[in-house]
Amino acid sequence: MSSSGTTLNEKVLPIVMKFVGLKGVVALKDGILFTLPLTLVGSVFLLLAQLPYQPLNDWLNVTLGAGWTDPLFKANGATFNMIALVATIGIAYTYAKNEGHEPLSAGIISFVVFILTTSSSVTTKSGETVGDVIPTAWCGGKGMVTAIIIGLIVGAVYSWFMANKITIKMPDGVPQGVVNSFAALIPAAVIVLGATIVYMIFKWGLQTTFIEWIYKVLQTPLQGMTDSLGGVLVMGFLIPFLWWFGVHGATIVSGVMSGILQSNTLDNAAIVTSGKELTVANGAHIVTQQFLDQFMTVTGSGMTIGLVVCMLFFAKSAQCKQLGKLAIVPGIFNINEPITFGTPIVMNPFMAIPFIITPMISGTILYFAILTGIVPPFGGVMVPWTTPAPISGLLTGGVRTAILQLLVLVMSFFVYLPFFKRQDSINLKNELAAQHGDNIQA
Amino acid sequence: MVIIRLFCAAGMSTSLLVNKMKEAAKNKGIDVDIEAFPESQMDKNIEGVDVALLGPQVGYTLNKAKKICEPKGIPVDVIPMVDYGMMNGQKVLDFALKLAGK
Repeated sequence: MSSSGTTLNEKVLPIVMKFVGLKGVVALKDGILFTLPLTLVGSVFLLLAQLPYQPLNDWLNVTLGAGWTDPLFKANGATFNMIALVATIGIAYTYAKNEGHEPLSAGIISFVVFILTTSSSVTTKSGETVGDVIPTAWCGGKGMVTAIIIGLIVGAVYSWFMANKITIKMPDGVPQGVVNSFAALIPAAVIVLGATIVYMIFKWGLQTTFIEWIYKVLQTPLQGMTDSLGGVLVMGFLIPFLWWFGVHGATIVSGVMSGILQSNTLDNAAIVTSGKELTVANGAHIVTQQFLDQFMTVTGSGMTIGLVVCMLFFAKSAQCKQLGKLAIVPGIFNINEPITFGTPIVMNPFMAIPFIITPMISGTILYFAILTGIVPPFGGVMVPWTTPAPISGLLTGGVRTAILQLLVLVMSFFVYLPFFKRQDSINLKNELAAQHGDNIQA
Repeated sequence: MVIIRLFCAAGMSTSLLVNKMKEAAKNKGIDVDIEAFPESQMDKNIEGVDVALLGPQVGYTLNKAKKICEPKGIPVDVIPMVDYGMMNGQKVLDFALKLAGK
């Protein structure tokens, strides 16, 4: 390892890891994972309701009647429109669990606080106000940032009470379940009281609710910032940059950003379900969860498939030959640890160049392709991140998206090619120098 | 029986390496018990272990790991990056056995 690499490893990495290891960041990225099954399952129902082949949809409408999709949209709504509720429970749960306290109580309190700070009435299109409801509009994408804030605060406050033993204590011999339910009483009372005061301040002071205020002052600007070329370039840079230190960049960036990216996706899903055409002119977001998964980390962070193909067909060194065979299958399923560590790319200043610029180029191409209408914006359909391209592009965006996906993968090949050639000859030289291959320079 | 524990970030590709190491041990006729855990759970999964290995992606935690392992007399080191990337079970197994002094 070079001395510059060592310095980076000792100076920069601890700062990065300090952020990554913050209790709140861990709870956020692990807690939000609970929404993943919902968005994926909900996507299947949305996909069935709106098959990517219009003549088939038309035929089904005629054959089954126009209302046949209603149950599908119901299933889609019950999953997509609940993700903020699930996120707020999941984040508080994870926070308390990581601190070593009974976690479900924290999740439940967080759920209650979310409902408390949300309006309990909705206004219909005709202007009539209906009370005694939980508005699903706020329980989905629009409530994501509030869900994160509430989940983190409740998790932290609950854990503080537990750690300082400010709980109702039971005599010995009382069953553990009973002890747990009483233990949560004091933190629950204090947190709910606090949330009620917040509700009062926003209702009487600002004539709004906490969730609507956060949406306006925090979530909308965050969504806007993410949904820009700048946002694309920052994410495109950060993921491989962190990986270059050997740190799992995709987990970290996606974990922190997925609340916002999913909100963008769900905004687009709402445009689709409202029956309007999904275009940028109709307010569709360009940068969504699928933008990141299907065009910036496809075949693994750094979009290393190009490098794998180089190794498969053009490698001269034994190391690259073997690595190509080893990495192609995981690579197709978007896993690339063998490549990042085996080439190696990690801590290798030379390979950092294609590793970082490839996703940035891909993101820029896609951004302008959507902006100019060459490919449509992504709708509500999401696929697991391990789905291979171009199937993932076909399902999330359609035929044109799939074709563009193939094109950026070809682009990845040409960006990596010159860098591969030099790395391969270095590896070959090392192999010739070390007769048994035991001294390959890491 | 040599007990080897691998510690990494999440365990996605390390489990692949574990299988390759078991294969290598079988070929050599060595009795081993190998499992992978997240690095954050090291303190809970370290009792009675002969040797602990860190994945290169968590190599920066070596000092922390040494604090846990050294009082118990358990050798610990980072798996060489290229051996990890190449999923070289044979080499990583030898590396572990050498560390364990077996």
